[in-house]
Amino acid sequence: MRTTKGLFGLVAVGVASLLAVSACGGGSGSSTGGGDTSSSFADCATKPLTCNSGTTKQGGTVTYTIEKTISGWNLNSAESNTFDFQEVLDGVLPQGPFINTPDLQPTLNSDLMVSAEQTSTSPQTIVYKINPNASWNDGTPINADDFTYMWKTNNGVDCKTCDPASTAGYDQIQTVTGSDNGKTVTVVFKTPYTDWKGLFGPMYPAHIANQHGDLGASWKWLNDNQPTYSGGPYVITGYQKDASVTETPNPKWFGKTKPSLEKLVFRIITDQNQEVPALQNNEVQTIYPQANADIINQVKQINGVQYMLGKGLQWEHLDLNLKNPLMADTKLRQAIFTTIDRKQLISKTVGQFDPGITPLNNHNFMPNMDGYKDVISSTGQGTGDVAKAKSLLTGAGYTGVGTALKSPSGAPVQFRCSFTQGNVLRQQSCELFQTELQALGIKVTPTPITSLGDTLSSGDYDMIIFAWVQTPFIFSGAYQTWLSTSSSNYGHWTNSQSDALLKDAAQNTDHAKAVQDLNDADQIMANDAYVLPLFQKPTFLAAYSNIVNIRDDATSTGPPYNVQEWGMRAS
Amino acid sequence: MLAYTIRRVLISVPVLLGSTILVFIMVKLSGDPLESIKLRNPPPPPQTIKLEEHRLGLDQSWPLQYWNWLKGLVLHGNFGAAVQPSDNIGSEIGSHLWVTMRLVFFSVLIALILAIITGVLSAVKQYSALDYTTTFFGFLFLSMPVFWFAVLLKSWGIWYNQNVSANTFYTIGDKSVVLENDTTWGHITDVAGHMVLPTIVLGLAGYAGWTRFTRASMLEVLNSDHVRLARAKGLRSRKVLVRHALRNALIPLTTVTALDIAALLGGAILTETVFQWQGMGALFVQSLRDKDAHLMMGWLLVSATIVILFNLIADLLYGVLDPRIRHA
Repeated sequence: MRTTKGLFGLVAVGVASLLAVSACGGGSGSSTGGGDTSSSFADCATKPLTCNSGTTKQGGTVTYTIEKTISGWNLNSAESNTFDFQEVLDGVLPQGPFINTPDLQPTLNSDLMVSAEQTSTSPQTIVYKINPNASWNDGTPINADDFTYMWKTNNGVDCKTCDPASTAGYDQIQTVTGSDNGKTVTVVFKTPYTDWKGLFGPMYPAHIANQHGDLGASWKWLNDNQPTYSGGPYVITGYQKDASVTETPNPKWFGKTKPSLEKLVFRIITDQNQEVPALQNNEVQTIYPQANADIINQVKQINGVQYMLGKGLQWEHLDLNLKNPLMADTKLRQAIFTTIDRKQLISKTVGQFDPGITPLNNHNFMPNMDGYKDVISSTGQGTGDVAKAKSLLTGAGYTGVGTALKSPSGAPVQFRCSFTQGNVLRQQSCELFQTELQALGIKVTPTPITSLGDTLSSGDYDMIIFAWVQTPFIFSGAYQTWLSTSSSNYGHWTNSQSDALLKDAAQNTDHAKAVQDLNDADQIMANDAYVLPLFQKPTFLAAYSNIVNIRDDATSTGPPYNVQEWGMRAS
Repeated sequence: MLAYTIRRVLISVPVLLGSTILVFIMVKLSGDPLESIKLRNPPPPPQTIKLEEHRLGLDQSWPLQYWNWLKGLVLHGNFGAAVQPSDNIGSEIGSHLWVTMRLVFFSVLIALILAIITGVLSAVKQYSALDYTTTFFGFLFLSMPVFWFAVLLKSWGIWYNQNVSANTFYTIGDKSVVLENDTTWGHITDVAGHMVLPTIVLGLAGYAGWTRFTRASMLEVLNSDHVRLARAKGLRSRKVLVRHALRNALIPLTTVTALDIAALLGGAILTETVFQWQGMGALFVQSLRDKDAHLMMGWLLVSATIVILFNLIADLLYGVLDPRIRHA
């Protein structure tokens, strides 16, 4: 009996000691109280550039969550060109002559540039004037050499071992010339490039790259080594692999707004379900996960945290594969798209946590972008108009309309609706299409797939639902996605008139004309019922209310686009 | 004993090779590791895809890919190129294994101490209130899903922190990034604060099974002839319990514990995911997510080696616990 008591005592003392030791831990403080959710973000829809503004006080640490472990540091490399790494380096690398701001527009980076203007349309010539004070943190000026290095490593010609994420635009440049001690850069294009504002960012220091071999070797070195250099408001001072990146203010920062935070930490949490508990426990102060009902409801319960749902650049769509002989018939495709009710789809899926979502009516521009034009409503697609769809089929010679549809040649009309396995939202969408298309007599079988890439490239699908992510530089993207011969045109829709318009839009010096061409091309595609845009996916940002100047930026730059302005609210 | 050990090690080599071949084929069939790059909009240039395929050896046939991996491993100790280019698979496995070992060591220590104490007491006091209580908690922890228990414990930890207005328990990672109290004591308390919750989760999961084994084993031994003889000889009950009963009762527990520890070192996947520890479990998940055959094979090789090693240790420990057992 005495032994028993002794052993229990030992265990009790051990557990108590462990708890006591941990209780003495130097934590960063408890959660703040308050319970004002979303008040500071309330006007972000109307004032995307200034909402949640405020005066900051010196000091403090903000921990921001990213969801991927760092696989490389060269953001221009295909391997490392991911959203999360871009966010980490937003405050370290010069983001380029233009910044993707929350209004989804490229805005002149007035810290880095004095001006960036198109001075000639034939040949297209852009003159960049760099801020005379702009320099890397070792004192070397940011100059034309950095532009030239970027051009040569990304054009797909000068560096055979470089693996750029995209050569678009760089492969159309004729020359990059420096003058005025390298502070003026003149870029002349071989063929016009509409999206020229998207070039030359993020920028790497050529003088450091040159110390590590030729273009190919330095490109790899930049990817493999954590930056100690900086041309932005912050410099990386700590990196715990797979855990965090710590940044402190760059003393040589030349921009107008000096960082007020003592430290900025990017915490890696690879399972987004664990982000909310970490936020609630004040281990992180801001999160930017993919929106879903569970996460939003959990965040609503946390005192002192505000949140916002924004309009993202990711959009869901239903694609038809024209390699399927039945799908080659435009009338059938039009009937399918007309039968689908997008409002019902939204209300049964994403609308449950974001009532502001409406059907998307363009394949390139998002509603919150300049140039957005509704090309879908006039076609009647996505409205759930079964009667119209039936009349389309009857007029085209289909039989068994509403019971067991057969093509004019007598073939039964049945399709697979493919969705990525485990994606509940897309599974629900396919099941809804199955029910809706039953009204036409079309048998749809929801089919899970394990590899979206393999399925798309092999063309082993009839209908498929997935998402594209847009950038503010849509012209070159649209050209590569929708062109008849493009490898990304998975459903093999072809149209020579659309091809000409897409090319003209991507290679134009007149922005307004490019927008018109692209929307004209889009109208042709919409009329042909090839891809049905469903909805714009929402973004979700949550942060403690004592952090100011943080706001959503749905572009590839992310909320840290203005990281030098982030700070603790001055009381 | 030495011959037995060498024979066991040699037998394990074809098992390891066979398992790597199986895993290689399964990962290959699961999809294209470059899918995320190929699906970008706008798509990367074809040259970029070719360079990546060459770097990962995807431009070769499957048998050649496997052969090159095996050759690199045997001749140079190289686990091959990872899908994430900055990763060196060998050092990745090393660092992740160390993280998991820390977690597993403390969990197993707590679980074993608790399991042996409660198991022995349950057996000695069979059908008493203490026995029913430990049985109840044993089955409770045994039936609780680890994932659910971990999430529940996190909630309790957060609730406690908010009530005492201090960060006593942490819910992510194995240490803080920014430490307010940057002293040795501060570091110790910080690490302890991060370890408490995952250690409890993993420890109680192991404890639940082991306490039942201990109880059953002890009951069997306590009812055996040699224990009755020891009592009849007038030996003190403590001596009978510890030296004659417990020592024999530990033999089956040794087998179970050794295999369980090996499995845990292979990756306490759920616990590591919930608490965001970058251990072997996280590495396993990463290899699946990236469809990274080299990483998966490296992970498997190390995990399987640990299983075989602990199996061997268990066999050898039999001889220590019971001198009658000899390995010819």
